[in-house]
Amino acid sequence: MFELTLQAIYSGVLTGGYYALVALGLALVFGTMKIINLAHGELVLLSAYIAYTAESQFGLNPIAAIPFALVLVGIVAVAVYLLVGRIKRDRELNSLILTFGVGIILTNFVLLVWAADIHSTTTTWFQEAVVVGDVLFSSRSEILFFLVGVALVFATWWWLSRTWYGRAIRAVSSNRDAAMLMGVNPRQTEILSFVVASVLATVAGIAIYTGQVIQPSLGHALTIKAFIITVLAGMGSIPGVLLGAVLIGVIEALTVTYWSSALQEFTGMVLFLVVLLVRPQGLFGFGARRG
Amino acid sequence: MKNRLLAIAVAGAVALVGVAGAQAQEKIVLGSHLPLTGKLARVGTGMHEGITVAVDMFNRENDGKYTVELITIDDETSPAKAVAAVEKLAGEGVVALTGGYGSNIIGPASEAANKAGLVYITSGGVAPELSKRGHKGFFRINNTEGYSKAMMGLLKEMGVKKVSILYNNKEATTDLAKTVEKDLSDQGIEVVLHAFDGGTSDFKPLVNKVKLQDKPDAIGMVAYENDYVGILKAGSVMKPDVKAVVGVWSLATSKMNEEFHDLVQTVYGTSMLPFPAEFTSPEAKEFAETYQKLHGTEPDYLGQFGYVQTKLLLEAIVRAQEAGTLGSGGLAEELRGADANTLIGEVKFDENGDNPLFSHRMGQHQGDKVVLVWPKDAATGEMIFPATPWSQ
Repeated sequence: MFELTLQAIYSGVLTGGYYALVALGLALVFGTMKIINLAHGELVLLSAYIAYTAESQFGLNPIAAIPFALVLVGIVAVAVYLLVGRIKRDRELNSLILTFGVGIILTNFVLLVWAADIHSTTTTWFQEAVVVGDVLFSSRSEILFFLVGVALVFATWWWLSRTWYGRAIRAVSSNRDAAMLMGVNPRQTEILSFVVASVLATVAGIAIYTGQVIQPSLGHALTIKAFIITVLAGMGSIPGVLLGAVLIGVIEALTVTYWSSALQEFTGMVLFLVVLLVRPQGLFGFGARRG
Repeated sequence: MKNRLLAIAVAGAVALVGVAGAQAQEKIVLGSHLPLTGKLARVGTGMHEGITVAVDMFNRENDGKYTVELITIDDETSPAKAVAAVEKLAGEGVVALTGGYGSNIIGPASEAANKAGLVYITSGGVAPELSKRGHKGFFRINNTEGYSKAMMGLLKEMGVKKVSILYNNKEATTDLAKTVEKDLSDQGIEVVLHAFDGGTSDFKPLVNKVKLQDKPDAIGMVAYENDYVGILKAGSVMKPDVKAVVGVWSLATSKMNEEFHDLVQTVYGTSMLPFPAEFTSPEAKEFAETYQKLHGTEPDYLGQFGYVQTKLLLEAIVRAQEAGTLGSGGLAEELRGADANTLIGEVKFDENGDNPLFSHRMGQHQGDKVVLVWPKDAATGEMIFPATPWSQ
């Protein structure tokens, strides 16, 4: 029983690292620009397929695909922003609809280019087991990208709170006109936000490809998971993304172990709804000011 | 004047012969709906390839008498879109329908076909309920029992005493898992069932539960490609002490062997053909050659099923047409009355449109090949047992 529980928590924490990587880019854009990019999962997927192409066609390690993926995913992300930027009214709702459509286009693009076959890395290094004390089991890929996820969460938090560009993004999000008066170019700032989100999506895509199975329909599921974690964490809370992701990962793993694996997604959603009922601003978000 | 009249008469006679010749070649419009995009795109595409091979071979064999025009609509792995596709095809005057993948999609789609009075033949839906609705025009060449017979037969031959079955909680996989559980339990083999959601990406907690709590002799998987890979990856990390890993559809294929070579070694799955495929009969050889010509690849079991169901349908259409009963419900009767020897064995439909003679075979990944290991009379090699990918 103890071994089962320990492994479940361990697996859940590592899975949470993956989830955090996927959710971080969406959280950045949603938290700072109030734009729900429903094509975010597809950007992650695109990066994963670029990693697959690099490995299968050119024999490269998936990590080596990062520079190529950064460029391509970045271009697509900027294109998404330029479309969203044309929305003048009801930006939050209309960006949701627009990016949903973009997500469908990207999914079908992936299907056209790479067909519907499932893929996963063939580089054995990523798949080899790491055993701790004969009790805790994981793959190298999981540990690597959990650590990368933690590092990126804190790097993103530091960048948003300590650098000029990070403050600029928060300023534009808070009051666009005031930010302009302070010498901040809102358009450039928002493009930068999307570019940073695309960098995070790129790393998440590589992580997904090395640790799981990719297929064209995965993008939508990734977006939903990312959205749940972002809202659970609380708008604007970057460290909250990691904690929210780990919480979801652990709850899912414990459900599989002690209840039923068929209810894994169900308990994640129940947790999400309960948190929103008790704390509508999310676990680490700030409540709305009164008066 | 006389010469002019003669020339007109000759021209008229030639035109009449031409028209008569054209009319002698009857056009059969066949409809098909399949998931060419969405979650089931890979299997839908495989079946579609087999259907096109059947149409191509039929048109060549019947050149001058019949020609088939195939209209295929992508149902995008969506039940609602499959229904819309069937209604559209019915509106376009198709004679019958072949295709469909996924019991949850075939159910509503074949309901729509039944309402439109169209015969519907498939190999993509094994849920038992599909053939219990009283639809006279519904036919399928495979079923849950055939898969269960194969899995049970193999496990019995292995002599295992306890099996843990991990199954996707979709309708068809749930039905098959429960059928296998009942069949194995009837044989005195202990079975533990574990359902999982189709969205599961990390199977380690589940495999750990099997490893520490169940401690079975073998792990069974009733799922789809992405699930198999996830379970096997988790197994490679957790290394449960079992003697065999046995799956069903979409596992013992050349694609899985090429894409996930190390991960699937010694794993079993249902397969009608070994890989590399060995075709011995003239029909099988022509099927393989046409498949290669049209699609540039070797056929797999999906293409084989798509081919067989469509060939049976087209032959029945021709018989009904020649009997003059095609337009008055004769097609279903022709199909029900057929007893055909096909690439998947004998096919004979019962009153519910099911093929009770269907029994699958089991293949095992051995190196670069898929070797048929069960039943003995179809085996192309011996099974490697006990063995798992992580014990290699």
